Amino acid sequence: MVYISQAIYSFLSVVGFSVLFNLPRKLIFAASISGMFGWLLYYFFQSFSTNFIVPAFVGSIVVGLIGEVLAAVKKHPATIFTIPGIIPFVPGYGIYYTMLHIVEKDFDLALTTGAESLFIAISIACGIVLATSFVRIIKPNIEKLLR
Amino acid sequence: MELQIEIKRVIRIATRTGRIMLQNGAETYRVEDTVKRMVESRVISSKKFETVNVFVIPTGIILSADYENETTTVLERVYPEGIDLECIDRANEFSRKFTNGIMSLEQAESALEELSNPPKFSKVIRILASGMGGGFFIFLFGGTLTEFFLAYIASAATILCMDGLASKHLNFFIKNIIGGFAASLLGVILVQFTRWIGFEANLNIVIIGPLMTLVPGVSLTNGIRDLISGELLAGSAKIMEALFIAIALAFGVGMVLQFSLKLI
Repeated sequence: MVYISQAIYSFLSVVGFSVLFNLPRKLIFAASISGMFGWLLYYFFQSFSTNFIVPAFVGSIVVGLIGEVLAAVKKHPATIFTIPGIIPFVPGYGIYYTMLHIVEKDFDLALTTGAESLFIAISIACGIVLATSFVRIIKPNIEKLLR
Repeated sequence: MELQIEIKRVIRIATRTGRIMLQNGAETYRVEDTVKRMVESRVISSKKFETVNVFVIPTGIILSADYENETTTVLERVYPEGIDLECIDRANEFSRKFTNGIMSLEQAESALEELSNPPKFSKVIRILASGMGGGFFIFLFGGTLTEFFLAYIASAATILCMDGLASKHLNFFIKNIIGGFAASLLGVILVQFTRWIGFEANLNIVIIGPLMTLVPGVSLTNGIRDLISGELLAGSAKIMEALFIAIALAFGVGMVLQFSLKLI
């Protein structure tokens, strides 16, 4: 039940951000679906893992893979699908709390949350690069099989 | 002389396309690749360019192309504007057509004119959608229905304010200070108002909605992505940009919170 509501919320949130990023109308649905699956995986891993890097990493791999598949099917660059897709777990939350702790002069907490958001950003970037490279490696093989 | 002019035209078309992509948030490697391919694909009086070197950083493109022992170098200055995926998509399609050689130079130049002003969503839809983006985001971090409505109003109003500022040509630091200030001021006012009516709302959760539309999460991630793929200069420039946007937002938010914490 929680997963259904989370799916709906993340889907609608990504739709909102897609419009904000001026995504072509026909592609909004596809991009939001990829964002939704990314968030669901993120949520699933977050519920039993205390590590903050693993959920973002797995989520972004999924977003990257779905983005690459959509790019191949719909003939648009993959970035168009991945940029709105990673929005739900991009560390905006962490950046805000870092700022807040600095304003409150709590530099210990600021450093902790700041480092945490930096590492989340690194893991998201790694996840997407990994997905892209993986697709680039196996793509010739798939094309050979289809021929 | 004719030859020189044609070479310049090809290079100009390529760098303009690169500028449009870069301005609207495309990754560095994609811009480099696109510009290089566009120049290399063209045949001028049955000869191609010998070597093409492209160097891209978030604030500029340098291109140097050799044609019959003559080197032409062009610098295109770029001012980042934000993320516009429609623009990237169109520029990408345009470059694909251009490299296939279907287009004449005249056609390409007129197509390039159209590229620089792509269709946008109407203002009302944009404002409503920004409310959706910021509002539903609240639920992902355990917000309640009251907080959702507050965040919806605050996000929509913040984007309205930022869109109004876009035509004023302010520098990005000042713009983000105003954005952070507006977002948190709206948050504080709305939360106070709901408390006065008799509902409970957490200020931190309400503020994160509108701030999510401003916070540089995507440019931080893209910067790290550039670093990973070996674009060291471009990557560090993007991360610096993200850092300074965050500092500007902290300025704005801090100003409001400092006063509101004392007043409440």
